[in-house]
Amino acid sequence: MEIERRILKATWEHDGNLEPLYEVEDKGDEIFVTFDLPLVRKENIAINTTENTVEVTAKMSDAVCWARWGVVQKKITFQAFRKQIKLPEPIEPEKAQASFKNGILRINLPKVRRKVLITIE
Amino acid sequence: MDEVVRIVEEEGIIHKEPIVIEGLPDVGLVGTIAASYIVEKMDYKEIGYIESDLFVPVMVIHGGKLTNPFRLYSDKDGSLVVVLSEVAVPPKAVYPLTTVLANWFHKIDAKLVISIKGLPVKNRMDIEKPEVFAVGNNEAAMGELKDKQIEFLEEGFIAGTYAMMLWECTKRKLSAISLLAQCFPVYPDPGAAASAIESVKKFSPELTLDVGELLENAEEIKLKARDLMQQTALSASEMQKGMEQDMPIMYR
Repeated sequence: MEIERRILKATWEHDGNLEPLYEVEDKGDEIFVTFDLPLVRKENIAINTTENTVEVTAKMSDAVCWARWGVVQKKITFQAFRKQIKLPEPIEPEKAQASFKNGILRINLPKVRRKVLITIE
Repeated sequence: MDEVVRIVEEEGIIHKEPIVIEGLPDVGLVGTIAASYIVEKMDYKEIGYIESDLFVPVMVIHGGKLTNPFRLYSDKDGSLVVVLSEVAVPPKAVYPLTTVLANWFHKIDAKLVISIKGLPVKNRMDIEKPEVFAVGNNEAAMGELKDKQIEFLEEGFIAGTYAMMLWECTKRKLSAISLLAQCFPVYPDPGAAASAIESVKKFSPELTLDVGELLENAEEIKLKARDLMQQTALSASEMQKGMEQDMPIMYR
């Protein structure tokens, strides 16, 4: 079953986009998302967020060609990473912050919070 | 239990109390990347493979040649053996695999077993050169670590293949060490592999390789290792790898 799933769900697309490795971490008041983006420069990264999603598109500095590889596709060239993630809770897109260091993109997404102070009677 | 995992070695291979370097997929793929680089740069010869009904039914093709993803290598004079895998170890295979490997290490009279692993750290992206820590399984192994001035872990849980590898070696009175390089938890980490190789080199003067090329090609390696990283991350969650972030009960 697992093998079937992996064959059907490859981490690359025929349009030249690769799916990056990523991690989503719930930090209570905010959601941390990191992406591993090798061969990418900061200026070539585009991040789009909505209340429920974050989408990253990152162009590689050099296109990568894998030739004579695999049984499904003999030769393919990749130019960019692209991934849209559905977030587990609504966030405030305007307050999102991002940094990029050593090939890792980190995005901090503050959750929508309406805090009410409760007084103890 | 031994028949579940089988070590198939070519005939006529001579071992001379070898140091064994084990690089199996784990956090950051540190072991796999390091072991593959050592084998390639030192031009070690493939001497066998490991097979099991518990492994995923996968073979690899390299240079048009069909090969097993779980392979054994040796240097020319039989003083160094490398065990590496290009596929993740399923959690069910951990116990039989480590038992069979430790039996084989005992049979070939291994002088020292070194497992190369990653030590996941949250702030890895802020670390330029990952540090390497170690775990030794007996007095002799601890002595080696002190001699080589490698810092060892004082407290903590270790989980997965290398944890059981250390224990199975202990049961057979074999000296074993795990070298743990600070790494990204879920991303391939050639930088951590380079740090681990620098530490491994302290145990064998034969290992004269330079890690420069590994660091230069780090980005390409990360790209090629994505799928194995995904498989490994799936296995890791079942192996209680998360426990490595836990603090054991302090009684001292």
